[in-house]
Amino acid sequence: MNTMVIDIKTKFQELGVDIPVEKIEERLEKLIVKFKVPQEEAKRSVVNFFLKEHGIPKEKFYGGLGEVSFLKVTDISEDGKWLNLKAKVVQLWDNAHGSISQVGLLADETGTIRFVSWVAAELPAVEEGKTYVFKNAVSSEWNDRMEIILNKSSSIEETPDDIPIQGKGQGTSSLVKVADISQDGQWIDVKGKIVQLWENTSESISQIGLIGDETANIKFIKWARAEIPVDVVEGRNYIFRNAVTSEWNGKLEITLNKTSSIEEISDEIDVIARDAVLTAAMVDIQSGSGLIKRCPQCNRSLTKGACAEHGKVDGVYDLRLKAVLDTGTIAQDILLKREVTEEISGITLEGAIAMAADALDQGVVLEAMKQNLLGKYYTVSGPRVDRYILVESIKKESVLDSELLAELIHEAEVF
Amino acid sequence: MAGYTREAARRIFAQEFRESNLTFKDGNDQYSPQYLFTPTGAKVNRMFIVGTLIEKEDIGSESEYWRGKVSDPTGSFFIYAGQYQPEAAQVLSECDTPEFVAIVGKPSTYTTPEGEILTSIRPESMYIVDGETRDLWVLDTARVTLERLKVLPTSHPDALRAKEHYRTEAKHYASMVLKALRSLQEDIDVMDD
Repeated sequence: MNTMVIDIKTKFQELGVDIPVEKIEERLEKLIVKFKVPQEEAKRSVVNFFLKEHGIPKEKFYGGLGEVSFLKVTDISEDGKWLNLKAKVVQLWDNAHGSISQVGLLADETGTIRFVSWVAAELPAVEEGKTYVFKNAVSSEWNDRMEIILNKSSSIEETPDDIPIQGKGQGTSSLVKVADISQDGQWIDVKGKIVQLWENTSESISQIGLIGDETANIKFIKWARAEIPVDVVEGRNYIFRNAVTSEWNGKLEITLNKTSSIEEISDEIDVIARDAVLTAAMVDIQSGSGLIKRCPQCNRSLTKGACAEHGKVDGVYDLRLKAVLDTGTIAQDILLKREVTEEISGITLEGAIAMAADALDQGVVLEAMKQNLLGKYYTVSGPRVDRYILVESIKKESVLDSELLAELIHEAEVF
Repeated sequence: MAGYTREAARRIFAQEFRESNLTFKDGNDQYSPQYLFTPTGAKVNRMFIVGTLIEKEDIGSESEYWRGKVSDPTGSFFIYAGQYQPEAAQVLSECDTPEFVAIVGKPSTYTTPEGEILTSIRPESMYIVDGETRDLWVLDTARVTLERLKVLPTSHPDALRAKEHYRTEAKHYASMVLKALRSLQEDIDVMDD
């Protein structure tokens, strides 16, 4: 970070502005350490902040300094850009042109790109399988593809670092929770318990029934033509691999085909009873939430002081939340009664009534709850009724699952 | 499915969002939803991001029109909020930078005179959140991005479309995810020290 601070300070000095080191340091540290902004972006942001403070146009700072940045192969997308690149020579091609010194293919961990080194550039020759730092190369578009050109101002330097180069991605279906199955035609792995086996009504079906995990149950069909050697047994636990989701009569089910497999496992899976459990971000709180009034006779919520059934009545105050939890694949409506609303929002019914009386506006309660709750992650559980989950317990998520983190890092590494 | 279903808010890292340039409508009438289609095959009509608001500026001439820059471990999102995004505009006018923010919004694209397509977010709502929520979002977004990458080699229609339009290299986005995840791991290591 120190070099960044000095870098920023020197550049501003060149423009005739002296900024105390501590001020740069403070802002940079706040962005990087406390607010987790990537270093380069933090540096840009700090520069922009001081440029604005001193009324210096951005062009004056960035223009003319001729700083050439290091790019990854797949980031090279613009014609005529000066760039630095660290890459391995994966292939050298025969060159047919007298003006070309070398031509071939470079690769880094993101992809591959053609390069051309001109005779006129008078650069040292590169060798296949070695890694080099190419400086001041120029990108260029040729036959709709990007390539890089090495010219007189470019330089090539061999480096002992071996960089992992881009290989082919391997395709697997992903292990999902049953409740996250939301789309037709997806390849998935499911780990669950056979909750029920149904009577088989068709010759084309080998087995049919319900499989469940801790999030939900779903119908599965094992086709006879899939020729899967394993017959599942009720109450036992399995992993279905390469199953396909499909929609039938408006409901999702999973089917096992020729490429699918079934494996019995020893893990005991807790199947969801009647309660749905969901962890997701709260993305909306709907009108009719917060402090409301209910009809003393039928308990319906009042609209502008009137009950749809009993007309104008003297309402009774209540608290509730109608919110939307979003997993990224489904948007789930949830309903929170008074006790859970009080617990998660930290606002009691009495407190809410006082707030509303203070502000002469019931809406302040809803606004406070929105500020407090939205945009964060929660785990809720409770029975499903129609399109709602009636929430019986709710907890704000705050701890990062380090096991999941390690697992995902491993997954990302093997691509 | 009967009736109206709310569009789920997709999770996409800033880098993938910046590298997206394909939009289409699902259906022909004027009410058909508009989607941004990303290189890993996410169909985005609504999105949810959590990041660090690092810059904000009122770029409006007559009425307020706010531009904000929200950073995640892979890059930055641009958000634009004017009179039709009153909630977000109010947050932008009142808050300081830097600050952790959560935004639910619609993707929007702009084509420059040079033909380059720039993406930004029109926020429906914007809230100030905590650092833990930001970390959870990074993990969440990494998880679903990897899931999309795993579907990519299959003949799923979204995967085929992504490969056809973007010639998506799974490796490129896997390393983006890895970068994001490693930044979380570094934070844990710092805390453990």
